[in-house]
Amino acid sequence: MAGTATILEDDSTLSRLDRLYFRFEALLNLVGGLAIFALVLLATTNVLGRFLFSLPIDGYVDWVEQAMAFIAFLGIAYTHRLGGHIRMDIVISHLHGRLLWISELLSVILMLGVTLVLIYGSYLHFWRAYDIGDSSLDINLPTWPAKLVVPFALTVLALRLLLHLWGYARAIREGSEQPVAVPLIESAADVAAKEAESVFSEGRQERT
Amino acid sequence: TEWNVSLWGKRRAFTENVEKLAELVDKKTNGDFRLNISYGGLSKSRENLDGISIGAFEMAQFCSFYHTAKNPTITVTELPFSRDVSLARIAEIYQAVHDHPIVKKDLARWNATLLMPTPLPQYNIVSKTEPLQGLSDFNGLRVRGPGGIMGVLSKLGAVKTGVPFSEVRQAMDSGVIDAASFAPHAHLATKSYAVGKWATTNLNLGSANCPVVVNTDALNALKPAHREVLLGSVGEALAFYVDNYENNTTGKYHAAIKEAGLTEITFTPDQTAELNDLAESVRAEWIAKYSGEFDAQALFDFTAGLFKQ
Amino acid sequence: MSLFETMAGMDSIEIGLWVTGAMLLFVVLGVRVAFAAALAGFLGLLWIFSAKLGFERGFSVAMKMAGTIPHSKVSTLALSLIPTFILIGFLAYHAGLTRALFEAAKRWLGWLPGGMGVATVFSTAGFAAVSGASVATSAVFARIAVPEMLKLGYDKRFASGVVAAGGTLASLIPPSAILVIYAIIVEQDVGALLMAGFLPGAVSAVIYAALVILLAKTRKNFGPPVTGFSWRDRFESLPGALPIFVVIGIIVVFIYGGVGTPTEAGALGAFVILCIALFRGARWPQLKSSLMETAKLSVMIFAIIWGVLLYVRFLGFADLPGAFSDWIVGLEQSPMLTLLLILCAYAVLGMFMDAIGMLLLTLPVVYPAVIALNGGEGVTAAESAFGVSEVGCSIWFGIIVVKMAELCLITPPIGLNCFVVAGVRPECTVQDVFRGCMPFFVADVVTIGVLIAAPGIVLWLPSLIGYA
Ligand code: NA
Ligand code: NA
Repeated sequence: MAGTATILEDDSTLSRLDRLYFRFEALLNLVGGLAIFALVLLATTNVLGRFLFSLPIDGYVDWVEQAMAFIAFLGIAYTHRLGGHIRMDIVISHLHGRLLWISELLSVILMLGVTLVLIYGSYLHFWRAYDIGDSSLDINLPTWPAKLVVPFALTVLALRLLLHLWGYARAIREGSEQPVAVPLIESAADVAAKEAESVFSEGRQERT
Repeated sequence: TEWNVSLWGKRRAFTENVEKLAELVDKKTNGDFRLNISYGGLSKSRENLDGISIGAFEMAQFCSFYHTAKNPTITVTELPFSRDVSLARIAEIYQAVHDHPIVKKDLARWNATLLMPTPLPQYNIVSKTEPLQGLSDFNGLRVRGPGGIMGVLSKLGAVKTGVPFSEVRQAMDSGVIDAASFAPHAHLATKSYAVGKWATTNLNLGSANCPVVVNTDALNALKPAHREVLLGSVGEALAFYVDNYENNTTGKYHAAIKEAGLTEITFTPDQTAELNDLAESVRAEWIAKYSGEFDAQALFDFTAGLFKQ
Repeated sequence: MSLFETMAGMDSIEIGLWVTGAMLLFVVLGVRVAFAAALAGFLGLLWIFSAKLGFERGFSVAMKMAGTIPHSKVSTLALSLIPTFILIGFLAYHAGLTRALFEAAKRWLGWLPGGMGVATVFSTAGFAAVSGASVATSAVFARIAVPEMLKLGYDKRFASGVVAAGGTLASLIPPSAILVIYAIIVEQDVGALLMAGFLPGAVSAVIYAALVILLAKTRKNFGPPVTGFSWRDRFESLPGALPIFVVIGIIVVFIYGGVGTPTEAGALGAFVILCIALFRGARWPQLKSSLMETAKLSVMIFAIIWGVLLYVRFLGFADLPGAFSDWIVGLEQSPMLTLLLILCAYAVLGMFMDAIGMLLLTLPVVYPAVIALNGGEGVTAAESAFGVSEVGCSIWFGIIVVKMAELCLITPPIGLNCFVVAGVRPECTVQDVFRGCMPFFVADVVTIGVLIAAPGIVLWLPSLIGYA
């Protein structure tokens, strides 16, 4: 389930690294959000330009296609830090203590494995476009910058996964029920409450 | 031996060269060598060259204008040569260009060997505006089309407007674009004429080059007998393709245009001359653009010579 | 024979089944759905290429192939609709549209039996026209509508149930992120699917409203209608809700009226709502939080899309969908029975899974089978098993399956909308909300039955723009 998980903090190195890195992840996510904003403005300009002046934006589709990689990938580590990538927790929500952290550790290892494969694969995809050449359909924009975003964002995610690996390993060693710096498993109801809260977050006020 | 072949869309006149090739190879080797054709399952059309270079599949089709930077040399065939040549002759010209050392070297960067062209007749425009009175009416016309044609038309003030192939008819209906330039099979696929009011008959500003390539390593690894069958079947597959395109597709398109009641616009010799002048500068720009990358002048002269013959 | 040789010797359908099994295992173990699918897809490619080329080259080819997918699959114009649709919903909240809409619905419809329930149904339906996500709609209305109903003496089970159920309308009535995702997966026109959602969404709302009135008439102490609003009050309530109609107007004019593409409609809608939010006092903090939330939700959806499409690429090499649809078509029972069984399977799966994840994981295999069941590519309505053409079948099945997925948001054990409503309203337990949703569950089953029996409800609007 999507949502915002609880992440406990203390003054350990791990927790401080976690918070520091989270600020970087949040910044990248904001850039992704701004790309969405730019997309809306671009499309609006395009449609108004066409209506009013018969002047659509040259290569509009090409620009949108380039922007999509930024939108889809820049926030990937931020989303993961907050437990935002959906999963089915019907089984692991019944686990506790070490057993739970071991299964979480296993999950992180699997995720890290596929992420590393994708980092290298997508890097080569970028490299082909950069080295041999590749361009967009209408206005021949180079595609390598957008292709480079993928291995970059996945690398940011891989570092986040390493932090989680550390966090779960520590939880297993200490056998703690409430470890720091990892998203805690919550009941579906807790998750939903968080999700509802996120809709109203940051000083949002109803206006009539 | 089994080869995977990456095409896209649906089976159509455009893919009959590959379909026929697969049929011939299968028959001649008694099923020892087979081509498994996949429509879109193995790759996105614009990444077929990547898939070939990786070695994920052994054969694929793509269009050179999808990504000119990946294959600058073969865009020479998309230049406006202002000549209406027969489909069979286009196939010969493309094959000759594909055998040119500069072109071979270009595709070798993708570990690819050009196997067979997909010759397309000259593109023509279907548009939904009021029928064109003169070339000046191209001013402000929003057209979807490939590089060479749009290079010429934009000099007349036309606006190149990209929309996805699947959205062409709706885009035309809603005024996102005013016109689309395609070969007959693509006008049939998009039913552009259902929305359009007029169609050109002799634009002659070129068409797209959408070759079929194979992975060079895979080709070299083939048993000599199989390789011989594969290479030896290209001519027959092309002949079948050309025959099918001319007798089924082109005719069907002309009938559809007539039935939909479109005004047919035929350019006068004067207008054609004016278009050719503009095409001349587009051709010169192409040479200038690529001279730093390869011997563009030589390749251009070679291609232009073939079109003149 | 070694394990490696045994694995190398399997045919691609066997490989397809093993890999699919592994993916389901990862999902059950709690691996994030996007990465479970991506991992399974990579392992599948690795298996297929290793069997063909040996492990070392096979690994290299599989890794390179997998590495092309994330960029390739998200870089399309059609997918740009998803972030814009999500952004509209967040901005609409800051523009104060929800309360204005509920107030207007109350003044116009409150006099009906169970009037507050009816008003809730239609205001959630109205908000659905600016919101692409069901859960957010329920969360917002749980805050606005439930307290008012409780104050007037409505049963708390009913009050929370109607909000949870009303939220599900957001996925049928455009803009809808889930319909866009469906269209991408099955390569159908996005505009056609968005148009197709309108009427079934409206029919659902009407059936909900009829149900509320029926409940109000038959149950004692149900809760009073709200009366006493003058016509003046009613008309005064309209301007606040007007932006909703502007957005609906833009979408209808663009897609149906043929002025532009769905992408442009989404962007222009987002722009209009943004202007209204700014006009009503929203500033950088609100805009920033909208952008952060939109980016996060978009990343989540895109990750599932590319992860699952990586698995789908493996399926393409293994040709499992082809084999599955051959098997489905070969069953000796009526196609309609098979379709109903497929829908039942979705109902069961939906009890445990999120709607988007469920559709993405299953459609690549199920969709070709349904199309084949109907009579395959290019079939006409007259010759088909379900009385719909190929294109019609793809649109019709999309609407039904999305409605199914929405149904699962209000069924135990993991009905997300119910959890959200219970989360917002401490006075309602999850059990209360599930109980309150039960009548609406019945109404949804009726709606799905109606849509199956009368595909025309789904296909009429798309047919006006030349589809189906
Ligand atoms: Na909606
Ligand atoms: Na459920």
